[in-house]
Amino acid sequence: MRIVVFAKEVLDPDAVGAYAVSGGLVVDDDGNITQSTIPRLMNGYDEQAIEAALRLKDSGLECTVVVASIGSDQTAMLRHALSLGADEVVAIEPPEGPMDCHVVASILVAWVASVGGADLVLCGRQASDDDQGVVPALVSVGLGMPLVTLARSVEMPGLGQPVQVVRVTPDGDEKVEVDLPAVVTVSSELGEPRYPTMPQKMAARKVNPPVLTTQELAVGAGGLEPAVVVARQFVPTLKGDCEIIVGEGPAQLADELVARLVENKLIKAGR
Amino acid sequence: MTAPVVVCSWTGIREEPPEETEAALTLGRSVSAGLGVGLVWLVVGPAPQDCAEVAARHGVGEIEVISDPKLSTGLADSFVEAVCRFLGDHPAGLVLFSQTFDTRLVAPLVAGRLGASVVMNALDVAVEGDGLEVTAAAFGGDTRVVYRAATGRPCVVALLANSVVPEPASSPSSPTVSEVPVDLSEVHERVRVLDPARAEGPRLEDAEIIVAGGRGLGSPQNYKLVEQLAEALGGMAAASRPIVDDGWIDSSRQVGLTGKITRPALYLAAGISGATQHMVGCSAAKTIVAVNSDPDAPIFRHARYGIVADCNEVLPELVRAVTQVSDSHD
Ligand SMILES: Cc1cc2nc3c(=O)[nH]c(=O)nc-3n(C[C@H](O)[C@H](O)[C@H](O)COP(=O)(O)OP(=O)(O)OC[C@H]3O[C@@H](n4cnc5c(N)ncnc54)[C@H](O)[C@@H]3O)c2cc1C
Ligand SMILES: Nc1ncnc2c1ncn2[C@@H]1O[C@H](COP(=O)(O)O)[C@@H](O)[C@H]1O
Repeated sequence: MRIVVFAKEVLDPDAVGAYAVSGGLVVDDDGNITQSTIPRLMNGYDEQAIEAALRLKDSGLECTVVVASIGSDQTAMLRHALSLGADEVVAIEPPEGPMDCHVVASILVAWVASVGGADLVLCGRQASDDDQGVVPALVSVGLGMPLVTLARSVEMPGLGQPVQVVRVTPDGDEKVEVDLPAVVTVSSELGEPRYPTMPQKMAARKVNPPVLTTQELAVGAGGLEPAVVVARQFVPTLKGDCEIIVGEGPAQLADELVARLVENKLIKAGR
Repeated sequence: MTAPVVVCSWTGIREEPPEETEAALTLGRSVSAGLGVGLVWLVVGPAPQDCAEVAARHGVGEIEVISDPKLSTGLADSFVEAVCRFLGDHPAGLVLFSQTFDTRLVAPLVAGRLGASVVMNALDVAVEGDGLEVTAAAFGGDTRVVYRAATGRPCVVALLANSVVPEPASSPSSPTVSEVPVDLSEVHERVRVLDPARAEGPRLEDAEIIVAGGRGLGSPQNYKLVEQLAEALGGMAAASRPIVDDGWIDSSRQVGLTGKITRPALYLAAGISGATQHMVGCSAAKTIVAVNSDPDAPIFRHARYGIVADCNEVLPELVRAVTQVSDSHD
């Protein structure tokens, strides 16, 4: 069976956060963050989606794991995917105009059709730049597949069997089952992705991932027209009115704080 | 644009907090006024008892109820089918959901089926010229992105919890109520629940007082200090993501972007740096208190009160001081 993982390269959210906090984030008029000092890396949830695919493979399931990504200049990221254990990788060059989740999903759907379909599509729960978590849903509609979100584990008893997914819900874990083909999104609770070994890294370094253009794919009508465009991006301001409690040692600090809390009726004196 | 604004709420298995629906109605009202169109409340699943009252308070023109028994199961295919059929017959300009665990799944599916624009994690929707601009949180809350929705297609928006303060309309309306007949007997749920989630005990989302611990606690043993203070305060214990990831505490306790969105009166964070992804889950707290040994920790920019010290020394003293206050009878 073919397992497809969609991976997105994002600006390192920690670095963006650090610049945002320090007041140094540079955003251009189109809402793009332009600092070249912010590293680009594979969306963390997508790395976990690859991990989920590899765990299925490790469980003895006969499958090919293909990682596909829309973006420019993604050789390093896709080599990383190979070094983790992906069987194939492919880069898709973004179209000329602006992309939104619709455009991304239309291209990914067209690509899946061009390779003859997929049995299981794994995505991250959200891309940690836009945090939208929309592409997997749009892909599932486009491919006519059911969608299961927020997987902590993805298991398959055998080829041709339904997948069993444990979902992370606000009320605890929920176990569901779905027939293939299906789209499943992976959450951080899946656990740490593996590290590539040195030989895997060396081998991946020799590969030049194939690059497709959207012209080579039969993207559906209107598929390249974005439904939303970014007008601008900014860093929200914080009020910042913190009173730092002063006192001699932990006991006095605690007493001072508790006095403030009582004063503000946040905790009650006497029961 | 003449199509109305539709606020869609789903009383599925995990009921959404009423104040979130009211926040969506508040925002829906302002957009419908800005566009000069009607405001419709689409209730999917059994209608809440006070539905007409709430709708009147928020200036809703029409309440439409779809209450097929299949919709009480909380399963996605029936819901998506019901909403898409309704919107197929009654086109909307803006479809507003309050963002919950369930709507995070179904809102984009509805948008996909309708070919609508979609924006999740929204904080605001504004009318700009002849179109809509949706402000949403990005990069875990570190930035805001303003999206301009294409005109000529509906726009589906999921409103982040705590982003709009619910406010009644200046003059109440007298909404009509109609039951929308939708036949879902043919809908086949493609995802089967084998083992449902079972909520155990009180939920962080409902807690009035929360004490949260982070990596600054240093070791899993010290998490009990957080639990002791939570108990002394009559509140609940919570955590930042790294210590959940490291297995110190169950993931049901995680606060933040990928955890719980809380809104307590008091949120005391111990050994938590205040990363935006964490603060998303607690910034609606009325009062935030931070205990952190680093005076430059970002959490102090969110906090009302701060203590710069070792949390493992301060927490036991806080337990003592709180217990003393609770036991005193002045
Ligand atoms: C896509 C994404 C989603 C995320 N979702 C979440 C989420 O839902 N929830 C979440 O919490 N995080 C989330 N994170 C992680 C988040 O970015 C931070 O890494 C995390 O919140 C940091 O946790 P922390 O404050 O416990 O640890 P740290 O950042 O390591 O901070 C520890 C703090 O403790 C202080 N400290 C150290 N020793 C002591 C001491 N003895 N006494 C007092 N203070 C001390 C330090 O000064 C420091 O400020 C997410 C990240 C990403 C990229
Ligand atoms: N440009 C892209 N290339 C490949 N996969 C993507 C891309 N954008 C989004 N995805 C997939 O869709 C998921 C959710 O993305 P988003 O809807 O943007 O939050 C990601 O975790 C990826 O699995």
